[in-house]
Amino acid sequence: MKAMLIDATRCIGCRACQVACKEWNELPAEKTEFFAGKGYQNPRDLSSKTWTLITYNEIQIEDRFDWVFGKKQCFHCNEPACATACPVHALEKTPEGPVIYHADLCLGCRYCQLACPFLVPRFEWDKAIPEIRKCNMCPSRVAAGEEPACAKVCTTDAIVFGERDDLIMDAEDRIRRDPRNYVHHIYGKDEVGGTCVMHLSNVPFEELGFDTSLAAKALNKKSEVAMKPVPFVLAGLGLTLGAVSWIVNRRIENQQNQKVEDAS
Amino acid sequence: MTQAKSKASFGLIVLRLLALLGIVLIVYRFANGLGSVTNLSDGYPWGFWIGFDILAGIALAAGGFVMAGTIHIFGGSKYHPLVRPAILTAFLGYLLFIFGLCVDLGRPWNLWIAIISWNHASPMFEVAWCVMLYTSVLALEFLPVIFERYKLTGLHAIWKALVPWIIIGMLSLFTLAMTYSVVWMLIIGGILLFWEIMMKAGLMPRDKQMPILLIMAGIMFSFMHQSSLGSLFLLAPTKLSALWYSPILPLLFLLSAITVAPAMVIFESLASEKALGHKTEFSLLAGLAKAMPYLLSFYLLLRVADLVGRYSVADAFTLSGAAVSWWLEISIGIVIPLLLYLTPESRDSRRGLMWSSVFVIVGLIWHRLNVSVIGIKVQAWETYYPFWAEIFISVGIVSIGICAYRWAMLNLPICEHNSAESS
Repeated sequence: MKAMLIDATRCIGCRACQVACKEWNELPAEKTEFFAGKGYQNPRDLSSKTWTLITYNEIQIEDRFDWVFGKKQCFHCNEPACATACPVHALEKTPEGPVIYHADLCLGCRYCQLACPFLVPRFEWDKAIPEIRKCNMCPSRVAAGEEPACAKVCTTDAIVFGERDDLIMDAEDRIRRDPRNYVHHIYGKDEVGGTCVMHLSNVPFEELGFDTSLAAKALNKKSEVAMKPVPFVLAGLGLTLGAVSWIVNRRIENQQNQKVEDAS
Repeated sequence: MTQAKSKASFGLIVLRLLALLGIVLIVYRFANGLGSVTNLSDGYPWGFWIGFDILAGIALAAGGFVMAGTIHIFGGSKYHPLVRPAILTAFLGYLLFIFGLCVDLGRPWNLWIAIISWNHASPMFEVAWCVMLYTSVLALEFLPVIFERYKLTGLHAIWKALVPWIIIGMLSLFTLAMTYSVVWMLIIGGILLFWEIMMKAGLMPRDKQMPILLIMAGIMFSFMHQSSLGSLFLLAPTKLSALWYSPILPLLFLLSAITVAPAMVIFESLASEKALGHKTEFSLLAGLAKAMPYLLSFYLLLRVADLVGRYSVADAFTLSGAAVSWWLEISIGIVIPLLLYLTPESRDSRRGLMWSSVFVIVGLIWHRLNVSVIGIKVQAWETYYPFWAEIFISVGIVSIGICAYRWAMLNLPICEHNSAESS
């Protein structure tokens, strides 16, 4: 399975990945707007037009402030909650790794948005014929043996593309060789069952806006508990209801016959 | 008499205006996208419509399968006069729900895709299939009313002969879609076929008016999707508050829908009595009300045990909007009506029954809004409040429903059912 490893210690915040993403996926530009709160990134957040975003975080490291850059995009989970949620397979986990979207199947129910623990899928709220929009890991490039556009243009190799297992080994190696400069955790290796976009950082992940409360278990296990018993419940209901109806209505019939007999 | 009529027609004018406003807003929504009439966002993709139109709407239509089951399977034939209004409400409810869903869906023209593209891991897929099939079941249950009204005895006979086979086909296909397993399909189809053969052979007693398999299918589909509506939220463990998020959400959804069913039937009977002058025998409603203390106290017990079992009791005692909403839901929707149903003065009067039923209904709507809107908290996103147009679209849809219900009650043999049959 293909994956990406993103190393915050190597990122210089040039945003070439953001530009390359827009170019390759032919996404329109966004109007620059000022906003209150943390972060200097532009635009403020992912949107239907921006599928990846470098976040700017000013973070205190020992006694000085420093910029640390994070990258927002779809995590391409190994067992994506969005693909489990989607009633019609409009979101599909491909064996190669990318989680892709088929607009021609989509109902626009937005259950994928509710299910995604990373808040990634975006909906085109302003369109009469809307679609779900998100990073799809450049599946045509990946199929052709190329790396995704953002990884291709990364000037400092902060984004590396490759086999997921190799990348995990590479990441562990980087931590081992420079243990003081890394948080000893690969974000995405285990979170929600593992993801195909993994991160390394020199500051605690929550300071870069990552949700560090996510469990290692895939989310689809939560709904599986409710979906697995379906045929058993159906069979049980079919048997019980038929039997009850037989017994109850036979009893009523008998009572009526009794009455007729008594009357005669 | 004339005064009552003019009062009714004033209410009717208001209803029609609200329905019209709703339709205008819906047209505007389809021209300009969902963002133009809602406050929904990528952080809060589901809002008031999901909670009210869909979750609460479907639960409130549970009267259809509960009453049909009580009467035709569990031997409660004395409640027969209540079954047609309940089926009518359910049928109208589901039609309106599908209409409301089409307003909420971003790409409603793709709805049919659910028939050919199957993801049986998705609770939403199960809901979609159940709703399609259960609406067909309700239509089949409602058809005799049309046959009677227009004296189509030939069609009625064809209906009676075909229905069991349609049902066996429907449930077999449904099972195949939910399991991808031919074995399971044959098991479910086989069970139903067995009952049908037993009835054909004269061993198993059959209802002369209503095919038992049709009633069974209604109950089976209802059990499935009433619970699956709760399962939907199992995929949002990081977003739904611990006050409501629970692995037994599907069970709680099913149980609360069954609990609200008698209350809804009582409320409807008394309301249509006031508005349309159809008298319902009080002893029937009182009989239904007798079930309420059992249902409510069991539901309350389950809710509390669930909270205790998940070590989340402390959440109810924090000072937050969610906790306040939880307490209001539990007290207004469960505790107060439970006490009212247990008080003889209230239980034995139309007024008392009306009020206690209203509490139960409000409590159910509140629960669904708690799960889908109030209890949802998404980090780093501005909290969602419904836009006025969202509320007026829902109000418009409900108004259309009431107008249709009124028309059917006045023009179709819904309430005369009992007298016609007993003669």
